[in-house]
Parts: sequence; C-alpha cells; structure tokens
Amino acid sequence: MFPKPVENRSVLVRLLYKLSLPVALFVWLLPLLAIFMTSIRPASDIATGNVFGIPSTFQMLQNYAEVFAKTDALKYLTNTMLIALPTMVVSVALACLTGYALAIYKFKWALPLFFLFVAGNFVPFQILMLPVVDMSNRLEIFNTVPGLVMFHAAFQTGFCTLFMRNFMKALPFELIESARLEGVDEFKIFWHLVLPLVKPAIAALCVLIFTFIWNDFFWATVLLSDDKSLPITVGVRTLNGEFVQQWHLVSAASLLAAVPPVLMFFIMQKHFIAGLTLGATKG
Amino acid sequence: MTTNTAGTPGRFDTSTSRVVVAGVALAVCIVLLMFVISTSMMQEVMGYSQRIEARVPTFFVRMAALVAAIVAAFYMITGLSWYKRNKVAIAPWLFLAIGLAFFMVYVIVPIFQSVSYSFTKWNGLYDIDGVWTGTWVGLHNYKVLLDDPNFYTSLWNNLLWLVLFMLAVPVGLFIALFLNQTVTGIRIYKSLFFFPFVISQVVVGLIFAWAYNPEFGLLSEIWSWFFCETKPNFMGNMTRVCSVDPPSILGDEVYATYGVIAAGLWPQVAYCMILYLTGLNNVSTELIEAARLDGAKGWKMLWHVVLPQLKPATFIAIIVTVIGALRSFDMVATMTRGGPFGSTNVLAYYMYDQAVGEGVGRYGYGSAIATVLFVIMLVYISYFLWRMYQDEVEAR
Repeated sequence: MFPKPVENRSVLVRLLYKLSLPVALFVWLLPLLAIFMTSIRPASDIATGNVFGIPSTFQMLQNYAEVFAKTDALKYLTNTMLIALPTMVVSVALACLTGYALAIYKFKWALPLFFLFVAGNFVPFQILMLPVVDMSNRLEIFNTVPGLVMFHAAFQTGFCTLFMRNFMKALPFELIESARLEGVDEFKIFWHLVLPLVKPAIAALCVLIFTFIWNDFFWATVLLSDDKSLPITVGVRTLNGEFVQQWHLVSAASLLAAVPPVLMFFIMQKHFIAGLTLGATKG
Repeated sequence: MTTNTAGTPGRFDTSTSRVVVAGVALAVCIVLLMFVISTSMMQEVMGYSQRIEARVPTFFVRMAALVAAIVAAFYMITGLSWYKRNKVAIAPWLFLAIGLAFFMVYVIVPIFQSVSYSFTKWNGLYDIDGVWTGTWVGLHNYKVLLDDPNFYTSLWNNLLWLVLFMLAVPVGLFIALFLNQTVTGIRIYKSLFFFPFVISQVVVGLIFAWAYNPEFGLLSEIWSWFFCETKPNFMGNMTRVCSVDPPSILGDEVYATYGVIAAGLWPQVAYCMILYLTGLNNVSTELIEAARLDGAKGWKMLWHVVLPQLKPATFIAIIVTVIGALRSFDMVATMTRGGPFGSTNVLAYYMYDQAVGEGVGRYGYGSAIATVLFVIMLVYISYFLWRMYQDEVEAR
C-alpha cells in the first residue's frame, strides 16, 4: 500500500492524521457548508452582515417551505424526473443491445462502430446544437419534454455502449459459444444468459445516467423554452435572477436541486464509482 | 461458424404464417406513420385545435407506431429462413439497428450538418412553404471569425481552461494519496470528498458566484480577517472598514475567468481523486514492498513505482479533464454569462450566444465557432481512439 499505512507509524503521526482529516474535509467543503448555513438563516441575518456566524434563528423548515410555496420548485423537480427516468431506461436498454452486438460478435464492423459510439460521446455539445434544434422543430417535438428525452437518450447511448461493450467483453466467451453449439437462439442467449450476468453494469449505468441527466443544463436551455417544462437546473438559475436579494432562498433552492443526485450517489455508491472509473484500472 | 448448414432441413424453413402476419403488421405501421400521423388529421381526431398542444400526444402515438413497426420487423426477419441460415452474421445488425440508427440521427449526422451550416448565412428559419431561407457564403464566416476580437478572447480562455484544468490531475492525485489509508471512517471521508462532483455544475456555479460576492460572500469574509476591521461609523453603527477593499472577482475583466475556472476545478479535482483512489486500490502490493526493501520511499517511490502503475488512471483523468475543460458551458452561463465585456467567453458559450443568445439567429456564424471547437476536440478524440485501438490490438 502506498503511501505507508499510518497504523505502522508512531502514535503522534496517527493522531495528526486523524486530526487533519476533518480539517481538510472542512476546508474542502467550505463553500457547500457556507451555502447550507445561509439556507437556514433568516433574511435579516444577511442584511445585518451575519452571514457566517450562528444564525439568529434556525429557519431551515421555513426557508425550504418558502421555496416550495413561492416558486415552481416542485414542478421543476417533477419535470427533471420526467426527463431523467425515461432517458435512463431508453439509453440503458439500447446500450444492452448495441453493447452485446459489439462485444460478442466478431464481425468486421465491430471495432469501427464501437469507435463511432465512443467518438460521438466526446464531441462538444455545440456542434450538435443547431441541427438538433432544427430537427426537433421539424419533428414538432421542439420545446417538449419527449423531444429532450429523445436527444438525451440518443446521446447517452454512446456512453452506455462504451461501458456495456467493455463489460460484456470481459464475460467468459466460452459460455456463449457452448450455448450456440446447443442451438440456442441468439436472442435467447442475450436474454437468458448475458443479461442476468450484466446486472451490475446495468445498475451502474442507471445511476450514472440519472445523475448526468439530472445535472444537465445545456440541453434543457437549448431544447426547452417553455416555463412549464423546465427542469430544476434551469429553474434554479431563473430563481437566481428573480430573487436577487434573497440569498437564503436561492441557496435553499440550489441545495434542493442537489439532493436527489447526492442521495443516489450515497445509496448506490459502489455502482456509481464503478461506472465512473471504468477503464481506470485496466488498460 | 458463420453459417449453420448442418441440421435437419425442415428446421430452417421460413415460418410462413409468422412472416406474413408480421409483414402485414409492419406495413400497417408504416402506412400509419407516413400517411395518418404526419398529417393534421391526427390532431383533429384527438380534438386539439392548436398544434402546440397536440404535439406531445401526437408524439406518443407516433412512437407507439414506430415501436410496433420495429417489433414487427424483427418478428418478420427472424422468421425468414435466410436469417436462420446466417444467424451469426445477421444477428449483430439486428441488435445494433435501433441504437445505431438513433445515435446516427441525433449525434453523428448533426456533426456534418453543423459543419455544412458553417458555410452558410442562415437565421434558422424556413419560409411559409418550408423552403430553407439561408444563403451559401463559402468561407465568409471563417473570415469574419479571424477578425473577431471576441473569438480570440474565447480561444485564449479555452486555452487557459485547458492549462489550468490540468491542475485537477495532480491535486486529485495528492488528495487520493492523502486519503488512501485504512483508518476507521475513511470511507465516509472519501465519499464526502467526492461530493462536489455529484452536484450539478449550475449549483456549483451559484455556490461560487455567491462565495465571490464582494459584499457578503465567503471570500470577502476571509478577506476581512486580514484587511478589515469593524468600527462604529459617525452615526454610531458598526460598519466594516477595509484598508484594501475586497476584490469583485467576477466583476473584474482580468480575474473573472480565473474565478470561473477555480469553481470548475472543484468538481473536477473530485473526479480525478476518485479515479486515482480506484487506481491506488489496484497497485500491486508486492512491487511496493519489494521497492521498500530496496530503500525506495517518498517521492522516489511515487515517481518510479506507483505512478507507472497508475498510468491507466492518469490517462482517463487527463482525457476527462480535457473534455471537461472544453465543455465548460454551464459554469460560464451561470456565473458570468460571458461577461464582464465578454472577458469570460469560451468557445462553447460564445457559440451559444451567437446562435441563439444575444446575436439571435446567427446559425452560420455559430456553426463556424462550433466547428473550430469540434476540430480542437477532435485532436483529443483521435488520440483517445488511437490509444484504445492499441489496447484492442494487444488484447487480441
């Protein structure tokens, strides 16, 4: 293990290390802590300059309730769900299919097509923006939630395929080979043999895609303009413009927008990290 | 292994009834898609007078027809004897069909469309007959680009982003090394350190915009420990008097970009950290013990023994950092919107601004900017693919 485990060092070093951990964490998360403190204090505190001290009254519930009462936060949150969940289902399902095709079959186009998915996944959004807007307009799905979902699902299929293909490539190929020799249909091999084996990958992808889409801002601003269908990320920025001098509400709303991905991360931590670090351990 | 010629002949006959039924279903779906749903009839049937309200229900009906058509097509093809004879050759294309078509339509084709837009002057509109209203202008947009000071500012800022974002890699490594211990509760620390990456960039942008606020932000508070004291003013109220006023980072043409980049680094460092933590998990213990016996420690150990083993993690960290740097849109949009005076523009934001923002409808010019950004990104994409190709060849 590197660096040398602190257990093997002197008591003083061990103690210093254990003390430095919370200090480092405090500094690292200071902006977040500060905004949390702001979100639970009354507006009068900020006006009188008590921004970092102990709040004069703790108004956590009032402030967050006020966000829901005064703004469309609830609608924004629902919209984000309506965008993130279908996208997650569609892109992961499609990637299971494409990943299977690219990992299991040895045909001439397997590698070039795989690279096409990988390359497409990395392009800057701006190069896609105008044609996608134009196409959505002509399909009459511009400024609708399904229109946004269609784009997200298509784009995320690239990343999911990269992930799925690599995961399936690591499966024991002999298993599929022997099933084929027994005359099992290709789709049955996929459904009954491979799919149960890639459940961890499916879980990891679901968590990741959900978080990615939840945090998306660019495509929501480009493809949605109607206030009725905006997701929380865009909503929060709009609130920031409306509540210029009400930082306690803006900060409460911002933190609300961060809650679901954070929860998702803590519940599904193992899968989340497995998804993000794909390829970081092997070549 | 490509064809399945052995076996009883009867097994590979076309299942006629299945193919006929599926074929009829497919034809019905296609007719539905082409003639019924694409006309306004659909909207009348569903009782919507206004087109805009009819869009979503119409969309769902269309999707249903499309899905039905796909299912029918699959049923038909898998019933054919041709499929049964060439199973292993045809099956991958059936698996690929939907995903690939979808990805092509929404990602690959638009790239070429964008490049072609960049040679035109167009405001994104069609005339009443649905005819394209743009004009072909050749390289004009790129010539304008070369004389546009904002373009150079954006390009320079993109370079700054790229260079400074690279700090995320060593800082991430440093934090990962710091956290790579096994004391109790370390797992919680690791997850909490990773926190900033999970939060939306919009929220990170808002947090930092607030932290930079010169009147009541976090930074001004820290600033006041050094340069300010609280004194009663002539009215008797306590006010803050500073020997040097706290800087307004986002309001300053020189510092604003650095301020935005610093905010962007926060989640990026977290990402690099988690990559390195996973990498460190898989570093071979024997090699390290062996090196330790040879007297290697500290920097030497890190440089000669640990880092070579972390190469895959470093590679991914650099790639995601470069991509993060070039995709820096959310931060700029939430923190400064390109201001003050365009000093924080990056190509990604400037393109958006020109195409649908302030410059409304400069589709051609916006596409030219996007193309430049794409070409820069293409360098990294090619490098990444080349590396992947090497690995694939090795793995064979």
